[in-house]
Amino acid sequence: MSRFRTIAAVGLATGLLAVSACSAGSSADPPESRDSATLAFTAEPANLDFTTTDGTAIPQVLMDNVYEGLVKLDQNGEVVPALAKSWTISPDRRTYEFKLQQDATFSNGEPFTAEDVKFSIERVQSDAWTISLKSYMDPVERVEVVSPDTVRVVLSRPSNSWLFNMTTRVGAMFDPKGVSDLANQPVGTGPYELGEWNRGDSIVLRRRDDYWGEEPALRTVTFKYFQDATSASNALLSEGADVIANYQALDALAQFEGDDQFEVSEGTTNGEVVLAMNNASGPLQDIRLRKAVMYAVDRQALLESTSNGMGQLIGSMVPPTDPWYEDLSDLYTHDPQRARQLVEQAGGPVRLRLRVPNLPYAVAAAQVVKSDLSEVGITAVIQPLEFPAAWLQQVFTNHSYDMSIIQHVEPRDIATFADPAYYWGYDNPQVQRLVAEADTGTPQQQNARMQEVARTLAEDAVADWLYLFPNVHVFAADLNGVPQNQVGESFDVTDLSWAS
Amino acid sequence: MGRMLLRRVGVFAVTIVVASVIVFGVMAVLPGDPAVVALGVNADPELLQQTREQFGTDRPLAEQYMSWAGGLLQGDFGTSYVTDAPIGPVVVDRLLVTLWLVGLGLVVAVALAVPLGVASAVWHRKARGTALAAVSQAGMAVPAFVLAILLVSIFAVRLQWVESSGWVPPAEDPVEFLKQIALPVLSLGLVQAALLSRYVRSATLDVLREDYLRTARAKGLTPGRALVRHGLRNASIPVVTVLGLQVVALLVDAIIIEVIFVVPGLGSLLLESVSNRDLLTVQGVVMVIVGVVLVVNLLVDLLYVAIDPRLRRS
Amino acid sequence: MSSAQQAEPRQPRQSGGRRKVPASLVIGLVLVGMVIVTALVSFVWTPYDPLQIDAAERLLPPSPEHWLGTDRFGRDVLSQLMVGARTTLFVGVIAVGIAALAGIPLGVGAAVGRPWLSTFVMRGIDLTLAFPALLLAIMFGAVYGASTLTAMVAIGIATVPRFARLARSGTLQVMSTEYVLAARVAGRGVLPISVRHVLPNIASLLLVQASVSFGIAVLAESGLSYLGFGTAPPTPSWGRMLAEGRELIAVYPLLTLWPALAIALAVLGFNLLGDGLRDRFDPRLEVSR
Repeated sequence: MSRFRTIAAVGLATGLLAVSACSAGSSADPPESRDSATLAFTAEPANLDFTTTDGTAIPQVLMDNVYEGLVKLDQNGEVVPALAKSWTISPDRRTYEFKLQQDATFSNGEPFTAEDVKFSIERVQSDAWTISLKSYMDPVERVEVVSPDTVRVVLSRPSNSWLFNMTTRVGAMFDPKGVSDLANQPVGTGPYELGEWNRGDSIVLRRRDDYWGEEPALRTVTFKYFQDATSASNALLSEGADVIANYQALDALAQFEGDDQFEVSEGTTNGEVVLAMNNASGPLQDIRLRKAVMYAVDRQALLESTSNGMGQLIGSMVPPTDPWYEDLSDLYTHDPQRARQLVEQAGGPVRLRLRVPNLPYAVAAAQVVKSDLSEVGITAVIQPLEFPAAWLQQVFTNHSYDMSIIQHVEPRDIATFADPAYYWGYDNPQVQRLVAEADTGTPQQQNARMQEVARTLAEDAVADWLYLFPNVHVFAADLNGVPQNQVGESFDVTDLSWAS
Repeated sequence: MGRMLLRRVGVFAVTIVVASVIVFGVMAVLPGDPAVVALGVNADPELLQQTREQFGTDRPLAEQYMSWAGGLLQGDFGTSYVTDAPIGPVVVDRLLVTLWLVGLGLVVAVALAVPLGVASAVWHRKARGTALAAVSQAGMAVPAFVLAILLVSIFAVRLQWVESSGWVPPAEDPVEFLKQIALPVLSLGLVQAALLSRYVRSATLDVLREDYLRTARAKGLTPGRALVRHGLRNASIPVVTVLGLQVVALLVDAIIIEVIFVVPGLGSLLLESVSNRDLLTVQGVVMVIVGVVLVVNLLVDLLYVAIDPRLRRS
Repeated sequence: MSSAQQAEPRQPRQSGGRRKVPASLVIGLVLVGMVIVTALVSFVWTPYDPLQIDAAERLLPPSPEHWLGTDRFGRDVLSQLMVGARTTLFVGVIAVGIAALAGIPLGVGAAVGRPWLSTFVMRGIDLTLAFPALLLAIMFGAVYGASTLTAMVAIGIATVPRFARLARSGTLQVMSTEYVLAARVAGRGVLPISVRHVLPNIASLLLVQASVSFGIAVLAESGLSYLGFGTAPPTPSWGRMLAEGRELIAVYPLLTLWPALAIALAVLGFNLLGDGLRDRFDPRLEVSR
C-alpha cells in the first residue's frame, strides 16, 4: 500500500502548509469604520528614509503626518507655525529665533527640545544626508540652543528661501535616539506614527495618544499602493478605498463625475511636467535645436491628448501659485515651419533618445512629442525606463539621455536651474547670480530677479515646460479634509474626518 | 523503489544548484554598483567603499556566489540594499500568499475540468459534446489577465458582489478573504480548467474503450463502478502529469493577476523589486520560483510512479 | 529524465477509416490566414497611419470613418490592430524559430549521440523548463532593459524544451525502423541518415508543435506587453493596446475589447490549426504544450 502512503504524505504536507499559510500576507485592511480611511496611491516608497533616498513617495506619506518641521505650508502655500510656535527675524535677516512648542514629544517618548533642532539641522549638513536637496541647508552657519524651548539659527547670508525650504523634508525634526533605522522605523513628532508596513500593499499610520497638538479625527489612515491605476479606480468604486489621490486616468473621470457618491476636486499644483533636454552633452547643446523643439511641440494638443485638456500650460518652471509668476506660455507658439528652419540651421535631421520613466503620463506625452518632432526632422526614439530605480540612475544621476519627460513636484524648484550639476546640465553664470541675488535680496528684489530668471530660462530654451499636472483627487463624498491643493511634498491626512 | 527515489532527488538537487548559478550569473552581469545606487553618485568615496564592504560587493564573484548560496541553504536570503530589510521573511510571506492563489486556482480548475471533460467525452458524438469542446478551446485562447479584467468589470464594479482587489489572510477574516480572492482565483482557474478539461476528455475516452473495462463490465460491474474501480487510476496518469504543468502555468499567470488584484504575492514582489532595481531580492524571488517549479516536477514524478506500478522498476 | 511526459491529449481515431479534413483544421487555417493576411496587407495599406496623432479625433466610437474608433491620441484603432498583427507574428516567428533552431538539433543529437551527451542535453532541457517564459523575460528585462527582443529571446528559450523532446522521441522512433536499421548496417553515417530519413519524418510532428507553440508565444507576448516588458511605444502591439485601453475601461470599454478579441482569435486559430494538423497527420501523435 506504499502508493497510498505517498499520496497521504503529500496530502498531509499540503494540509499543514495550508494551516500555516492561513496567516500569510497579513495586511491590516481594517473593515470600513468611521475612524479610518484608505487612500490609494501609485508609487510605493522603497524604504522610509528620505534623507538618503530621492523621490517624493516617502515624504508624501511621512511629512506632516509622522515627521514635523518647525514650520509648514497651509493650503494657500503660506508658511505657518508647526513645531515652532512663533519666530522673529533679525533686521539683517540673518538670524532666526524660534520659540518652540513646549510639550511636543517624539513617538519614542523623548521630548522635543531645541537640542533636537540643532541635531536635525546639523545632520542635514553632515554626511548622513546624501540627497541633493540637502543644499537647502547650505545658508545655515550655526545653530544656537538658547533654552530648551528657544533656538537661534544664524545664516551666513540672508536667504528668502531658507524658511520656505524648512517646510520641506530638510526641515523635518529628528531625535538623536530615533535615527538608528530610518529606513524602517521613522520616529517623528507628528500626530501619527508608523503602524504597519505591508510591503507591496500598504502603509498604515496609527494615531498617537501623546501628540502635542490637536488630535486628528481618524485613528488609522492607510496608504494603499496600486501599481495599476484601474485597480485603484475599481477599489474606490467597490469601497476598497476612500480616496484616489493624484488621479491620472483623466479620460475616465466621467465615471465619477456624474455620481453623487463621489466628489472630484481639482486644486493647485507644483507639478511641472517638463520635457528635459540635456544642455551639457549631445546634440541639444545647440540652442537652435532646443528652440526647434520648443516650436515643434504643440502643447495645447498634448494637453488634450494626455490629460483630457485638464491642467495648465506654462511657459517656464513657475506655477501660478508662486509670487513671481508670469505667463510666458506664448513665447514659443506652435510653429513647425520655424522649427524646421532651425533644425536645418543646426545641421539637419537628427536622432535623439527620449528616455522616459514608464509612468502613464510620461509615456503618453512621449508619443505626442515624438509625433510632433517627426514633422520637423527630429527622430525621437522612445525608451521607457522603470521608475524609480532605472530612471533615477540613468537619467537623473548619470545624465545619460537626450530628452526625458517627468513631473517635478517640489515647490519652487526653479532654483535647480542654477545648479550646473543638476541633470539639466545648464550652466549659466547669469542665472546663478540672479538666483543668489533673489535669495539674499528683499522680497521685491526676489520677485524681480526670479521673473528675470524665468524669462532667461525660457529664452534660452533650457527645457520645454509641457504643462502643469492637474491635481485631481477623487474621493467618497462624505469624507472631509482631503487636501485639495498640492503645496509641498506631503499628503497631509491630519484633517481627514467623516461627515456624521 | 528506494534507489529510484534517491536518484530522482539527486537529480533535483543537482538541477537546483545549476539553476542557482545561472540566476546569480544573469544578475551579476548587470552593470552598476549597488553602493552607488544606495548612496547616490555624489557620495563620499570612503563611505562608498565602506558600504561595499558592508554589502560584500567588493569580493570576487565566486565568493559572493558561495556566500549567497550558502545563505540560501540556511534560509537566509540576505538583506536588501534598497529596503534595508531582510529578504527571507518577505519572500516566505509572499510565497505563501501566492501558494494560496495557485492552490485554490488548481482546485477550481480541477473541479471544473473533471465534469466538463468527462461530459464532453461521454457525449463526444453528440452536438453537446462538440459544444463543450468548443468552449474549452475558446477558454484556452483567452489570456488569464484578460479574463480577469473582464470579471472585475462585471462582478466587482458593476454588480459589487465581490471585491476588486486586496488581500486579507484567511485566519483574520474568512469572509472578506473569500470575497477578495474570488476573482483572482476564478481568473486563474477558468483558463486552466479549459486546458485541463481536454486532457480529462481524452483520458476518459481512452479509458472508455479499453479492453479491461469491457472485462470489468463482463464481470458484472456497472459502467460507473467499472470506471471508478479500474479506469480512474489509468485515466489519472496523464492527468496527474498535466497537473504539474498546470501548477507552473498558474504560478506564471499569477504574476500578472497579482498586479491587477493588488495581491501581495511573489509575482508582485518580483515586479516591484525589478522596478526598484532591488536585484538581491529579484535574485531571491527568481530562485524561489525556480525552486518551486522543480519541486513540483519532482512531486509529479513521484506521484506518477506511485500511481502507475508499471513504472516502479524503471 | 522525467517519466512524466507532457502529452497533449490524443483525439479518438475517426471511425470509418476515411480521413476527412477536420473542422478544426479548416477553422484554424482561416483564423491564422486572417492574421497573416492582415499583417501582410498592413505593409501596403492601412486605413490611417497608426502613429498619426490627432487630438481633435480622440476617443471616437466606431463610425464609417473609423471602423473601430480611435484611441486617446486620436489614432485609428483598426490601423493599430493591423500593424499590431505584424508584431504578434514577428514575435511568434522569431520565438518559435529560436526554439526550433536550437531545440531540433539538440533533440536529434540527444537521440543519436553518445549516452553521456544524451543525458547532458536532456538534463539541460529539464533545467530550462524550470524557467518559464514570463520569468525569463522579466529577468532579461531587468538586466538589459525590456524590449521586443528580450521578449522574443525569452519566449524562444523557454520553448526549446518542447521541440527538443519532440525531436528526440521522433528521432528515436525513426531510428528504430527497419529501413533505417538497414541503412546503418550498410554503413551509412549518422548525419546523412538524420537528414535523409529523420527530418522528413518528424517534420509533420514539428509543424504541429510549431503551431501550438505559436499560440503560446502570442499569449506570452501579450502578457509581457501588458506588464510593460514587451514592445516599446509607439510601435503598436496588441498587449500594449490592452494595457492602454484598460486605463479607460470604465468609460471606453471597446478600446480593451478589440485587442482582446484579436489576441483570442489569433491564439484560437493557432491552437485549432495545431489540433487539425495533428488529426490530419496522425491522431496518435503526442505533442507537448
